[in-house]
Amino acid sequence: MTKQILFVLLIASTNCFSQYYKSYDWSEKPKLHTITADEQKEHSIGILKKNIVEYTTAALTSDLKAYETFHTITRVNDEKGIGQHNTVYIPMYDVKNVIDIKARTINSKGKITLLNKDNIKEVKNVEEYGDFKIFAIEGVEKNSEIEVLYTVEKNADLFGSETLQSNYKIKTAQFLYITGDLNSEIKAYRTASKFESVTTDGKASKLLEIKNIPAMIEEEYATPDANKIAVVYQCFPKGQNITQEMFWNNVVTNVGNKIIPETVNPKVDADIQTITKGQKDLTTYQKIVLVDNFVKSNFTVVKNNNEELSDLDYVLKNRSSSDFGILKVYANYFKTLDVAYELVITANRFTYKFDPDFFIPNMLRDFLIYIPSEDKYISPDRVEYRVGEAPFNILGNYGLFINEEFGYYFSKIVQSDPNFSTIKRNTDITFNDDFESATLKQHQEYTGHWSITNRAVLSLSSDQGIKEFKDYLTGSGIEDKVIESYEVENGDMNQTEYNKPFITKSTISSESIIEDAGDSYLFQIGKVIGTQSELYQETERVNPIEMTYPNQYDYTITVNIPDGYTVEGLNSLNIDKSYKSNSTGEKICKFESSYKLEGNKLIITIQEFYKSNEYDLNRYEEFRSVINAASDFNKASIVFKTK
Amino acid sequence: MIINLNYMRYLLVLFLLVSFLGYSQDFSNEDFIYLKRHEHIKIGLVKQSFEITKLVSEQAEYLSANKLYFANESMSFDSFTSIEDIDAYTYLPSSNKNIKVDYIETKREFDNGIFYSDQESKIFTFPAVTKGAITNLNYKEVIKDPHFLGLFRFGTYVPTKSAQLSIEFPSNISIGYIDFNTKDISVDFKQETSKDITTYTWTANNTKGYQSEDDGESVLYFVPHIIVYIKSYEYKGERYNVLNDVNDLYKWYASLVDQIDTNDLQKVYKIANDITKSLPTKREKAEAIFHWVQNNINYVAFEDGLGGFIPRGAASVCDKRYGDCKDMANLLYEMLNHVGIEAYRTWIGTRDRPYTYSQVPTPMVDNHMITTAIIDGETIFLDGTDSYVPFGMPSAFTQTKEALLGINSTTFKLITVPVQKAEQSVTDVNTAIHIKDDMFIVTEKRLLSGYEKVEFITDYLYKKATKTEEEFLNTTLALGNNKTSYNNITKQNFDNKRNPLELAYNLTIDNYVKKVGTKLYINLDIDRVLSKSKVDIEDKKYDKKIDHTYTKNYVTILTIPEGYTASFIPEDLSFENENYGYKITYTQKDNTIIQHKNIFVNTLSVKKQDFESWNEFIKSLIKAYKKSIILEQK
Repeated sequence: MTKQILFVLLIASTNCFSQYYKSYDWSEKPKLHTITADEQKEHSIGILKKNIVEYTTAALTSDLKAYETFHTITRVNDEKGIGQHNTVYIPMYDVKNVIDIKARTINSKGKITLLNKDNIKEVKNVEEYGDFKIFAIEGVEKNSEIEVLYTVEKNADLFGSETLQSNYKIKTAQFLYITGDLNSEIKAYRTASKFESVTTDGKASKLLEIKNIPAMIEEEYATPDANKIAVVYQCFPKGQNITQEMFWNNVVTNVGNKIIPETVNPKVDADIQTITKGQKDLTTYQKIVLVDNFVKSNFTVVKNNNEELSDLDYVLKNRSSSDFGILKVYANYFKTLDVAYELVITANRFTYKFDPDFFIPNMLRDFLIYIPSEDKYISPDRVEYRVGEAPFNILGNYGLFINEEFGYYFSKIVQSDPNFSTIKRNTDITFNDDFESATLKQHQEYTGHWSITNRAVLSLSSDQGIKEFKDYLTGSGIEDKVIESYEVENGDMNQTEYNKPFITKSTISSESIIEDAGDSYLFQIGKVIGTQSELYQETERVNPIEMTYPNQYDYTITVNIPDGYTVEGLNSLNIDKSYKSNSTGEKICKFESSYKLEGNKLIITIQEFYKSNEYDLNRYEEFRSVINAASDFNKASIVFKTK
Repeated sequence: MIINLNYMRYLLVLFLLVSFLGYSQDFSNEDFIYLKRHEHIKIGLVKQSFEITKLVSEQAEYLSANKLYFANESMSFDSFTSIEDIDAYTYLPSSNKNIKVDYIETKREFDNGIFYSDQESKIFTFPAVTKGAITNLNYKEVIKDPHFLGLFRFGTYVPTKSAQLSIEFPSNISIGYIDFNTKDISVDFKQETSKDITTYTWTANNTKGYQSEDDGESVLYFVPHIIVYIKSYEYKGERYNVLNDVNDLYKWYASLVDQIDTNDLQKVYKIANDITKSLPTKREKAEAIFHWVQNNINYVAFEDGLGGFIPRGAASVCDKRYGDCKDMANLLYEMLNHVGIEAYRTWIGTRDRPYTYSQVPTPMVDNHMITTAIIDGETIFLDGTDSYVPFGMPSAFTQTKEALLGINSTTFKLITVPVQKAEQSVTDVNTAIHIKDDMFIVTEKRLLSGYEKVEFITDYLYKKATKTEEEFLNTTLALGNNKTSYNNITKQNFDNKRNPLELAYNLTIDNYVKKVGTKLYINLDIDRVLSKSKVDIEDKKYDKKIDHTYTKNYVTILTIPEGYTASFIPEDLSFENENYGYKITYTQKDNTIIQHKNIFVNTLSVKKQDFESWNEFIKSLIKAYKKSIILEQK
């Protein structure tokens, strides 16, 4: 949908050849492929994943035509492998005609079972994805090969993309791009393999072949889905050559015309009254906060096919909007209130890396509003976000910024406030007389993305979610804890002050945190900082390191040593791990903990921070040592002995 | 706004007192409530065909602007129902305006469990919702099959001020009903008859919100609800039963089973012969057939009209190598009977359905199909959808449930699936521990049988995702701490259905031995199973569900390092009642200390009134887990 709204098709013209898909076929007498012993241990192995994209022009109408052929052969070795590949979903989004769909199974004994085409089902209007053809593969057993081959004619968009990597190994992946005498562009991401110029049925083509693509694996602090090997392409109508700049200009003009108002819709006046309550001397910051809180408390952003959800009059009346329509609402309010703004078009970095150098509409997925004077972002369709930094799933991606004069530029979306997301936690620990239990009194202040999440969970969750969250906020990982008191301050999602902390005050008690060891007591002090993540790395790290967002923790733990006792084993409380910037030598992430003894008090201070959102993959071990330092501290225990 | 949960609890107590004094309940702490949820079912009979409609009328209020997502409304329907005459609007008291819903879409969803379903939804969003808004929804559901009148919930996920079900029907129709979980609310029942039409009305006011809990039974176990059904009708002086009792339900099921495609059964028989011909006993034959279906038929479900109730032909299932529960049940039935084993198609509700056939003689009672074999007088439940359950054990999620065995076209039999014993699902753990340079060096072997095996394999296949084996074990077994490293992992008998799964590995655990001065503090409980299972008595509202009973036996041998001697060995500890318990003992032999540990859970549910006892068990276990051995330098 976004695509149609964002992009006005640039027009087409001539030429004719027979299409390659007509002669392309699977092998007449298929045989099982040999796989290695290691490959046999996997749930499934891609033997072949081939995509053919062919652009051509129809002789009489001179329209651009596009055909796409998908051909896969997949070995399935076990129940899970079968489950992953025995159901096929073919999206009909943008498909004009289905030319052919066929599938077959070759079992371990070489028996072939052909898909009965009557069993292909059509499913209409699925969630936000449009129509599908679906079918289940017939005759699959363990150690079978599943082969699927289909061709569709697409609405001739000038661009497309295809992901070549998957979450299982692929032995051969091919992307064949047939454009003949049409001008075109193609680009591959995250592979060293190069396109080769080939001729397919007399037509100029490009072929990318990659052997042995490893399975993309899940890793912490990474965006694996967005890091897969992929291809993007553009093909232009006969005789035309469109530059990236022309594409971007087209988007800017189109979006600008639709959203940035020349004159304000008169219906917004009443809302402005409600928003400002007649106050005339509001600062820009106050204005944008009031507008954002108003929109989020009165409008619902909806995903469906109702085109009116992008019509300003309709949206203002019904208070329901598309993610596109809601931008018009903000634009009109801001124009009335004389607030300068820029529109930002970008993408979720976990699914797509925005590329300013190669235009495809697929990456224009998310909208933000940027207020240059305040260096702050608004996330119009995100009910949990308020004026501040960009949402964490966008942070670090590039965006297209469009100002009110239709000027544009690209910029990486970065956090402007380096200390946006912090946790301050003070814990005061006392023991009862016989060391049966410990009481932890905590005061915690969360800011930035932490506070946004906390407020959202408490405001939007089910009872079960709220229950789990309460556990998380009060010493997670202390199994037998009893929550004696717990309160939250500043929990409302609508705040007017910039980055106001979300505060919790709690008292918990635990017996299991103390261990009676004959003549002494072991106190698992590390558990006080809560369960910490541990980065495992048995295999070589694949994905670049990306944090969820930059953040900082400052903890102070005060242990009140009971009379008549001394405390030992404090060395494990001193930890100092860091990762220094190559250029400045400054620590950009670290975990530091130390202690001091003051009378009957043991005072531990911890500072952990991650100033940057991205870290050098080559220095992964250093990064890991910082992350794991917190997990080390979590294991620390100290010993109380009678004097 | 300051949210203070303690404060809220205090307020709640106050509310209870107030309502006791005769005021109506106050929902002002809520974000969203239903002012009313009314359903009116109208049943007509034209000759012998039913005309059934259900009028639904709902009104909801937004008490805050927090959860505006409730504006997204969805009404599902399938080939047995249709949704008509939707009238929906938002009323804004502040401006005294109604804003109509003017856009309704029909959508489908992909479901993880069901590959293809004929279920669709009418979806729309109420306009202009904000604090104070009142949404109104009225529509008609046409029910095309008299077996599916559905159920009505007096309570739902948020509070309801007025919940009402009414059903009107002519005097030649007889209606049955049964309510569940209504003892803590008051339901007013009224029966009116005017001329030829009788109307039953049930009303409940001010019901609280009911939400499911992760470790709890399904909501049907606690949400107050009622099931109504057509028992019979009279036509030209004769009485025809629809769902008078389970006999009629079975009669209907039998009529559906009659429609199974029995073409090409020879193909199926050939497979059954091939896999059983060398086996002498019925038991072995049945086991071989069951394993064949477990191994060769992949679970893919289609729900398409009555096709959702009629198993597909056994030959076609064999050809395609896929099917859903009823397809596998029918295939097993055909294969077993062919080789001379008494076997029956069997309908059953999973544990999510809290009903018996005598209570609820409607299709609402069950949602699953299996096969029952009788071999040498022993009843064996076979669930082909559970790929790793051992032959002889029912699938865990059917325990305690009533099975309806179709004996022939008119006879059936009800048998309750027994709870499997804790001795059938065993984890045996043998652990040897050495200490080297303050590192914990562990060699461990685990044998898993019964549901313990099924659960591990299911997690391994479906929760592991692309994690490495090391990371998977580290997060699921969680031995030692999260710095434990796993080496030389081996698995055996993964696919061998008869033998326990054998899992072996070596561990090195960093940061685990605590060294202070000349002493080492050593904790042998690297596996702290159940330590996170304490129930939060204040917050947990409903019974705790346990998937299966089990026993875990541990033998852990610590070798005392050279130059050390044990200066402290923890005392033996135990906790036991008939449903759960543990026992830990320590013995010293030469330069080793041996810990024996047994943990068992012998119940499928911990009732709310037993939470204290359960917590006592868990707390005692946690306390036992934290006991350390002290080794001192000689």
